[in-house]
Amino acid sequence: MHRTHDLEIFPEYTVTQLLFKDLKNAAELRKMAVNGEIKGALINPTMIVDAFQILVAANKAVHLHKNGKMKTRSLYSEIIFNLSPTNNISEAFKRFGISDSDNAVYIVLVHNKEETLNVDDIISKVDGQQIDVDQVSELTDAAIVKKLYKVAPMEERCGSLLDAVVCRMATKDVA
Amino acid sequence: MEEADVLRKQVPSYLAEAQMIKQGAEARVYRGRFLGRSVIIKERFPKLYRHPSVDEKLTRRRTAQEVRSILRCRRAGINAPVVYFVDYNYHCIFLEDIVHSVSVRDYIVPVQATVQGTEHLQTLADKIGEILAQMHDEDVIHGDLTTSNMLLLAKAEHKNINLVLIDFGLSYISALTEDKGVDLYVLEKAFLSTHPNTETLFDRLLKSYTASSKKAPAVIKKLDEVRLRGRKRSMVG
Repeated sequence: MHRTHDLEIFPEYTVTQLLFKDLKNAAELRKMAVNGEIKGALINPTMIVDAFQILVAANKAVHLHKNGKMKTRSLYSEIIFNLSPTNNISEAFKRFGISDSDNAVYIVLVHNKEETLNVDDIISKVDGQQIDVDQVSELTDAAIVKKLYKVAPMEERCGSLLDAVVCRMATKDVA
Repeated sequence: MEEADVLRKQVPSYLAEAQMIKQGAEARVYRGRFLGRSVIIKERFPKLYRHPSVDEKLTRRRTAQEVRSILRCRRAGINAPVVYFVDYNYHCIFLEDIVHSVSVRDYIVPVQATVQGTEHLQTLADKIGEILAQMHDEDVIHGDLTTSNMLLLAKAEHKNINLVLIDFGLSYISALTEDKGVDLYVLEKAFLSTHPNTETLFDRLLKSYTASSKKAPAVIKKLDEVRLRGRKRSMVG
């Protein structure tokens, strides 16, 4: 049920996405991510409009990682940071990372093609119901996303909320 | 394996696979796939005739400016391609591919010949005037307004004209009526030379422009001035 996607610019990398609802062990998962037991980004799905948003963040993270220009310490924290419209790292984690009380989680894994990825191992650690990543739209809190990314109704005339969000993520270093 | 080596080849080898659709003096434009979508990639290649450090600085600034103007337009509800990714190493911008579209240039030519053409073109001219006024209200100067840099989206409902502005490569931010006047002057020159006998149509565009913004009359006044002296301001005195 997870989704994998190759990065066209970095063909040796694959991004795997998993989505869980009715999550019961958010605090435990967060701890595992912090001490490296889970090698992945744990994201708050209410801030995610579409799987494409995740891919844009992951692609940028890999790009910055390979160039040694990451703003945070790891590839996974960089994915979370890239989702945020601001350059404030702690705020990015607060908004886009998961909190101990969350009841859903979006997990993003980036791996080299040569490595074998044990998805089942990750799935076994999550106490929740896995759903298709496309169902993230059911968990999105559009009002908060619009507020955080400062998307005015005007902008939605020329495109979707996803367009607005992705455009800001891609241009935040110069805008 | 040295990581830096692998990295150097990444974007160039990606572009080698992509289909080049245009080559200009400033950049090359490709069509390719990115994160599962069809995209347009604009690559500002190194200019060997410039000193490398000057080249790097100019190219970086222009790439950033292009991206900034696009975002500014979109924020104001003016349709321009979504930016998906910017690579400042190779100065590549990955943009939304505007599918099912035709450039205003290609649209005008056949329609002009038809009987009901005039009415269609008038509606289009009104729309262009309105959008350019909105853009100038945001202080975005496009810098290269031509009918080739405006796309018409083919939509089921023909009533609403959906116009997309592209190629912000020469754009910048300015509140000066002078700059806005010159922007329109550039369009006028391009418009009338690409499409002969369209003076009345262009007048209609300017009327719509004037009616769409409070600041527009001052710009039109400036345009009259620019027409007399050309695009470059007199540097005498």
